[in-house]
Amino acid sequence: MLAEVLLLARKDLQIEWRAKVALGQVAPLTLLIVVIFAFALDANAPLLELGAGGLYWVAILYGGTLLTQRSFELETEDGNIDGFRMSPMKVHSLFLGKALALFVQIGLLEIVLGPVILLFYDVQVANWALLVTAGVAGTMAFSVCGVLWGVMAAGLRVRATLLPLLLVPVLAPVLLAGSRAFETALGVRADAGWSWTSLMFVIAAVHTVVGLGTFGFLLEES
Amino acid sequence: MPGGTNSTEMTATPATRVLGISAVAATAPMILLGLAISPADVVQGEAVRMLYLHVPSIWVAYGSFVLTSFSSLLFLARSKRRPDGGRHYDRLAGSAAEIGVLFTAITLITGMLWGKVTWGTYWQWDARLTTTVLLFVTYLGYLALRRLPADPMVRGRRAAVMALISFINVPIVHYSVDWWRTLHQKASLSVGRRPEITGEMYWTLLYSVLTVTIIAAWLTVHRYRVIRLEELRDEENLEMLISSRRNEKTADGTGHGDTT
Amino acid sequence: MSEVATVATGWGLTFVAVATYSLWVVRRGRTIGRELGIGDVGSTDFQRDADPRTDP
Repeated sequence: MLAEVLLLARKDLQIEWRAKVALGQVAPLTLLIVVIFAFALDANAPLLELGAGGLYWVAILYGGTLLTQRSFELETEDGNIDGFRMSPMKVHSLFLGKALALFVQIGLLEIVLGPVILLFYDVQVANWALLVTAGVAGTMAFSVCGVLWGVMAAGLRVRATLLPLLLVPVLAPVLLAGSRAFETALGVRADAGWSWTSLMFVIAAVHTVVGLGTFGFLLEES
Repeated sequence: MPGGTNSTEMTATPATRVLGISAVAATAPMILLGLAISPADVVQGEAVRMLYLHVPSIWVAYGSFVLTSFSSLLFLARSKRRPDGGRHYDRLAGSAAEIGVLFTAITLITGMLWGKVTWGTYWQWDARLTTTVLLFVTYLGYLALRRLPADPMVRGRRAAVMALISFINVPIVHYSVDWWRTLHQKASLSVGRRPEITGEMYWTLLYSVLTVTIIAAWLTVHRYRVIRLEELRDEENLEMLISSRRNEKTADGTGHGDTT
Repeated sequence: MSEVATVATGWGLTFVAVATYSLWVVRRGRTIGRELGIGDVGSTDFQRDADPRTDP
């Protein structure tokens, strides 16, 4: 099972590495969002410093949604899901494999965007351990939800607009928790960063369990 | 027609007609009770009359979403074992969700108007309000998913999974938003305290809940039947399309029409 | 807005919303039913499905 998960994740990452959409298109786009927030808030330095944690997650939410979209675009375009259905691999492996690949891609996006926020919004990290743990927790929750809703919208005609509509309400608690945890880690809010981080782990766990239970239904054709 | 279906009342049967008439009949006393007979509140004044719509609406909305989740669960569990795929569960889930969205919208509107009078502002970032608005958007997404052209069984299964996950998410959303507000703005919660309701107000509220439930039940039944009709129409259209293609092909004679 | 006006707005909007939706559902049912000619032809099939409580 583990071998299958790794194989599927590696397949996704290899495709991504060749096309370089995450680094070449999505990352610059999130960078642009960071700049645009400064326009929206009139480059108000104290406001940007206060909001850095939340704005970071909003940018990641946007970029991550695009990555999720793309991750399933590839599968349906080439009829990969049909191929998978005929292969002896387990449905659970596909779920975990896609989630792992998405985790790596979104994580990469976060690593690229992190320093940008630190420099542009002039914030200092007060608690590195919390920052990294919260980042991992949020990315886990994001990638698991992303795979679930990504396959839900896959192959449907207006998926480009449908996926964000379905995904964002589910990710709202993650955004909330991630923003609060990052604010603590960046030293602009005193409390509860670790509690918010554990909430994100709980969300990730709940969706993993539900996802493993229902993923088979989502893959079935007719 | 023995069952009462005729060309003028497509989705009605005697039973639902009784339900519909009682819904209309029950509405008149509800208006009288809510707007005239029941007294104004000591603290809230006339604004308390909004609660006779607000409270029943959210009750009906939650009830509908529970129904959606329950029938989605049955759809996923049973559809394999039934020759018809258990699509009536899917239909029930869809119709209940639509009624739920309608009444969530009413809850939000009446709640905001009530808040304007009582709190002095339309919106508070309080846990209940924020959860409700997220619930509203989630089920709008669910309805959007249901509307897409796709194989009915595939779409039904995806919608059912979405309904289940959304339902599981309700406590997560509520808990996190509640936590968010209590951690940082204790004051705003005391504004949203529930006033004690007794006597005539209590009975008016209870009666309104009953009335709105009847209305919602009638709507759900009719919506269910309209969904069934939509499915029949789609199937018929598909058959017509296939047969016209087949005719094209025979008329063509060369096999160029063979694109299906 | 005064209290009374607000209450009137709330009740008014609610009734308009519910009435519009009900009308839409009934009308849609009639239109599609007529398109399909239900009431003359496919009625037995439809009848069976008319009640959500009976499992077809």
